[in-house]
This record gives sequence, structure tokens and C-alpha cells, in this order.
Amino acid sequence: MKIHSTRAFATQIVLGSLVALGAGGSLGFAIVDLRRDISISANNARIVEQRIAETERRVAEIGGLVAAGQSPEVLEERNQTLALGLVPPAETRVVRVDISVTDRLAANRKAEIFAAETGQNLAPVRFNLGGAPR
Amino acid sequence: MTARGFAHNLRLYLIAGAVVVSFAVVAYRLVELHVLDREHYLSQIQDARHRVVPDPARRGDILDTRGDLLATTRTDITLAIDPWALPEKIEAQKFESRKAAFVTEQCAARAALAELLDMPADKVEAAFAPAWKSIPVTEDTEDEAPDGRVRVRYVKFLEGVTEEQFSRIQALHLPGKKDPVRIAGLTHERRFRRVYPHRDLAAHVLGYVNKEDVPSGGVEAYADRYLKGLSGWREIERDGKRTELAQFRQREVPADDGWGVVLSIDCAVQHIAEQEMNAIVAKFQPAKATIIVSDARTGFLLALANYPTFDLNEFGSAPLEKQRNIAAADLVEPGSTFKIVTLSGALNEGLVTPASKFDCTLDSLVYNGKPRRFMRDDHHFDHPLTLGEVISHSSNVGTAQIGMLLGERRLYDYARAFGYGERSGYPLGREEPGLLADPARWSGVDITRIPAGYSIAATPLQIHYGMGVIASGGQLLRPQIIRQVLDASGEPVYTFRPAVRRTVIAPATAETMALMLQKVASPDGTAKVAAIPGFEVAGKTGTAQKLVGGRYSERNHVGSFVGFFPASRPRVVVSVIVDDGHPPGGGTAYGAIVAAPSFRKIAEQLIQYLDIKPITTPGVTLAAFAPEGASR
Repeated sequence: MKIHSTRAFATQIVLGSLVALGAGGSLGFAIVDLRRDISISANNARIVEQRIAETERRVAEIGGLVAAGQSPEVLEERNQTLALGLVPPAETRVVRVDISVTDRLAANRKAEIFAAETGQNLAPVRFNLGGAPR
Repeated sequence: MTARGFAHNLRLYLIAGAVVVSFAVVAYRLVELHVLDREHYLSQIQDARHRVVPDPARRGDILDTRGDLLATTRTDITLAIDPWALPEKIEAQKFESRKAAFVTEQCAARAALAELLDMPADKVEAAFAPAWKSIPVTEDTEDEAPDGRVRVRYVKFLEGVTEEQFSRIQALHLPGKKDPVRIAGLTHERRFRRVYPHRDLAAHVLGYVNKEDVPSGGVEAYADRYLKGLSGWREIERDGKRTELAQFRQREVPADDGWGVVLSIDCAVQHIAEQEMNAIVAKFQPAKATIIVSDARTGFLLALANYPTFDLNEFGSAPLEKQRNIAAADLVEPGSTFKIVTLSGALNEGLVTPASKFDCTLDSLVYNGKPRRFMRDDHHFDHPLTLGEVISHSSNVGTAQIGMLLGERRLYDYARAFGYGERSGYPLGREEPGLLADPARWSGVDITRIPAGYSIAATPLQIHYGMGVIASGGQLLRPQIIRQVLDASGEPVYTFRPAVRRTVIAPATAETMALMLQKVASPDGTAKVAAIPGFEVAGKTGTAQKLVGGRYSERNHVGSFVGFFPASRPRVVVSVIVDDGHPPGGGTAYGAIVAAPSFRKIAEQLIQYLDIKPITTPGVTLAAFAPEGASR
């Protein structure tokens, strides 16, 4: 009985240790796995954060380039380089209309329509956009 | 059986004991690591892995009144090299074949880098060449041989690398390789840099931020408290490859980006002014010149252009002389533009009416019991001039007589009320108060000189806002340049309102003055070239001789034209002041020659841009257009 009880005690210690090892190991694995997940999530969040920061940096850079490209000085240079012939509106080129604009447009249109009947050689202005064939 | 059982029991005991001892050892080690030596290991970890990383705030943008970027912040990357990184890595390789392959790969990567940066390959190779530097032997603690030589571990390679270039460097691929190649020893530092997309546009208004992130002058310095934001920081841990272990972030204070500032300056108006400034410089080669455009009803500045000027992105190469905002910091004699003060004062006091006449052929007049000699007029007048003719012909003699009627004290008081002799409250940078002596210190002839704008000195801004008194219906407005402050998300935080400094003259007086000033820009006036039919240009020319060597020079003049339009519904006040201009073909740089034509050109463009309507129903009083929403 004595031998048996001693063996049982030793067996219990070994078994207990094994169970403790198993449980501890499992817990350890669970914790490691959890921490790994936390680490992956945190890293993903960091990567997203970096991407956002990078995008913001690119937006700021491009915003600056766009502003520089739209600078009046640059636009004027391009106007000359591309021979666009655009000129700023000047008061000397403006015809101020002191009658009703609607009446004036109507009068112009009437003059255009009745030009043929009255024998006047008035040709309406037609724009030839982009050099397209007429 | 007993022996076997004993042996069996002994083995079990031994195993159990061993397990217990193992646990005890592990437990002891744990206690040692986590309790006994905790501080020691923690400090090692702190040193090796723990870092406090600053999170700099992005400086806010400066926008014009339409929202166009005038100043912005972008990141700027500086590439640096540790030339010893490659030799050390090669040394660490165990196998010769790997060493050779690594060297070949790195050579190819550097060649690709040179091509990407459009640099000569030999220049890149030279930057990567390991070098030594000498230091005092006592300070040589880097290696075991204190020979006074240490390895150069940092070589600045290239500044101003853009984000796009940098991302291409990071994605550098070599033929046959799947992953991007990493160039050994190449490091980078990213920091914010201030950029001014329009270069020299409104340079003196904006100011700049230097390489130490210290704002210098202009809006950058004045609105720094709004623009700079609040930098943050975070405590992080890094692994052996210096990559952040995001899961160990302990504390984090995010950066609070700077706020945006919206100016009243309009890019297009500023460009119009600067273009005209270039034309003035090309034609008259002045020493200095200023053009100021402001809203007549609110006092907000729409444009402020100075010559000389400088490129804000190249501030380091601009001499301080060019960086001075001469509109606020330089003094000129206002000359005849000051006559509006004398006439307004006399009209406001009821001493004269527009019909009052003055004999402008007189040489002198007795004042306070003593004869006072007048400054000569350029023209001879064969009849007494009315008040309107005195101003339209810019008669010094007539103005001096009006000044005598007003008296020294009242003339002084009106000059002060018009803003002369005191700072205007221009918020950006240094501003001179001007020179206007107390009447107790006036000399005998000052009563004939000061009414015509001599013997005093004022800044171009004072002259401009002096005319603004007439345009605003009698009120002196405070020069303002910031319209709004926006938070980081673009929402308005604070809106600046027009501010009236004081009421100077009655609206009726301002109206009378405006009507008379229209005659200056008429065929009979001194600045007929400034007239724009239908737009009621009102203004005043000024031509002041400059003091050179203590004497008034016959060759050096300050020519100016300060005016507003339309006179009965003022929209804008425009000042053109040209210091020491030289008209082609010689002659005097009268305001009518060097400044009035520019006024007209600017005004014609403003009519289109600001959609200013011609006056078809004159007679509307100035009082109806008093400052909008102004506060004191």
C-alpha cells in the first residue's frame, strides 16, 4: 500500500506537471498568437497611417505644383509660348451698351434675317472651332 | 518485486524532482529577470528600442481672397549617405561568392540611382567613397585605436528630393530581381519646407519662413501663431532593423496642424499691379516704387507691390534692401498729394467754399505779422483760382494761402487726423510713423511748405489711406490684409471686419473733395492721362523734389498719383508712387508722367476684373457708400 501510494503521489506530480506544462503551453501559445494578432493589426494600422500621410504629402506637393502652374505669370508665359493670342480684357476694347441688351440682340438678329430681303450683303459671323472643315 | 518497485519509485522521484527543479530554475530565472535585474534590463531595452519620435505639425496655408495658394507647405527629402555601411556589410558576409554578388548588385543600384536622379555616375560613386576625418585624439573614442581619425558616417548627398523621386528610389528595381533593391548606406530625412508657388508675387506681404523654420516678416511672421500649429510626439519601440513595433506604442500626442490664413490680397489684382510695376521699372528705372490697391469701402488691401522685390523661394540670395517693405518702412515727401488734407480741413471748417478764389500770382503774404514767401508754381495763372482750380492745377501758392486760413494748429490736427505722423496700424512688419513736427517747432516758412506736402514725410501707406479718407466718405480706415483664419479642416475660425480709425471730415466735405478731385483727371487738370470716360476718376498728382545732400534736388523727384474711382461710388483706391524715376529723353519725373499713366492702366484692368460699372447716373452721394460693416 505504501509503495502504491508513493507511486501514486509521484505519478500525480508527473501528471500534474505535464498538465501544467500543457496548460501553460497552450496558454502561452494563445497569448503569443493573441500578441501576434495585435502586432499584425497594429502594423496594418501603422501602414495605413503611413499611406495616409504619404497621400497627404503627395496631395500637398501636387497642390503646390498646380498653384504654381496657375500663377498668372506662368499662364502669361504659356500664352506667349503656345501663341494663343489671349489678351486681358481692356476698357478700350469694351463697347458699353446703354440700351436693353435683349433689344440690341434682337435688333442684330433682325438685321441678319432681313439682310437678304433688303439686299444688304450682311453675313452672320460663324466660328470655325479647331479649324474643322466648314 | 520490491526492488523493482523501489527502483521504479526512485525513477519516478528523480523525474518528479527533476521537473520540480527545472520549474524552480525557470522560476528563479524569471524572478531574476523580472524582479532582481528588472531595472538593468529595462534600461537596456529603453536605450536600444525605445524612442520618442517628434510629429511635426504642418504649417497652415496662406490663401488669397479667392482661395488660391500663396504659400503652402510640402515635404522635402534630403538624401544622405553613410559611406562605411557598404564596406561593413561586405565584411560581414561569410562567403566570397555572396560578397561578389552583393558588390555587383550595389554597383548596379548606384548606377540606377544616378540615372534616376539625372546625375553623373562618378559623382554618385564619389559620394559613397569611404572617408576619414581628423579629430582630437582625446575625443577619439569611436574605435579601440585612438589615432585621431574617425570614419565619416554622414555625407549630405542631395537636398530637395521630391516625394515622387523618392518613391521611385524606394521602388528601384534591378533587372532579374523581384524585390526592390536597397542601397546600402543611403538614408533620408524628411522635413516640411515652405513653398511659395507664385515666387515673387506679393513677396513683401507674405514674408517667408527660413530654413530654421523661423518666420521672417509679412503674414508669415504676423500670423505665425495661427499658421505654425502644434507639433506632437509619440513614444515607440523599434526592432533590430529599426522598424517601429506599432503594438508597443505607449503614448501618442498627435500633431495639430496649423490654421490657414485668407488674405484680402487678390492674386489677379496683385499681378496687375506687379506687371505695371515692371513696366514702370523698364521705362523709368526708379530707385524705388510702390503700387497700392485697396477697397475704398473697407480699407482691405487688394494688392501691394514694391520695387525692388525678391523671389520668396530664393530668399537667401536676396539682399535685405530688397526685402524691406518700402510701402510701410520708407518715408517720402508726399508733395501735392498732401494738398487734399489742407483743402479738406479748410472746407470742413467752413473757411472756404468751392467757389472761394485765391490770387495765385502772389510772391508772399503776411502771416502772423511776418511776410511769408511762397513756393513758386510751375504755371502762371492770369486769374484768381477757385478752390477746384487750386487742386486741379495743383497750385502751391493757392494751397499755402488756404493753409494760412486754416492756421498751423488746425492744419497739424487735420494732418494727424488724416493719419500723417502716426503709424497706420499696418499689421505686417516694421512701420514708420512718418515725420510731422508739432506746430511749436515749425519754422517761419513751414506754413507755406507743409500745406503743399513739403517739410513732412510719410510712408506710401499713409499717403494712400489719406486719400482713402475722401473715398470712404470722411473716415480713416485701418489697413487690413487678413480676411479670415481657417482651421485645419478649412472652416472659418475668425473673420476680420473693416475697422474705422476715426472720422476725419464730414461726408459732405468728402463729397465736395471727390467732385473737385475729378477735375485733376480732366483735360484741365494735371493728370488728364488718368481719366477713364464714364468712371469718374478722382485723384491727385504729386511731385516732390528729393532732399539730396541736405538740399532739394532739381533732378531727383518722387512722382506719384493717388486716386480712386468711380468718384461718386468709390470701389478702389490706387496709389502709384515712383521714387527717383528717369523719364526717357530726360525731364522732370512729374507724377503725371511717371505715375498717372500707370494708374490708368491698372484702373482699366480693375474695371474688367472687379466688374466696376460705369457711372450713368451721377449724383449719388459718397455718404451712401460709407464703409461696410466697419467697427472701431
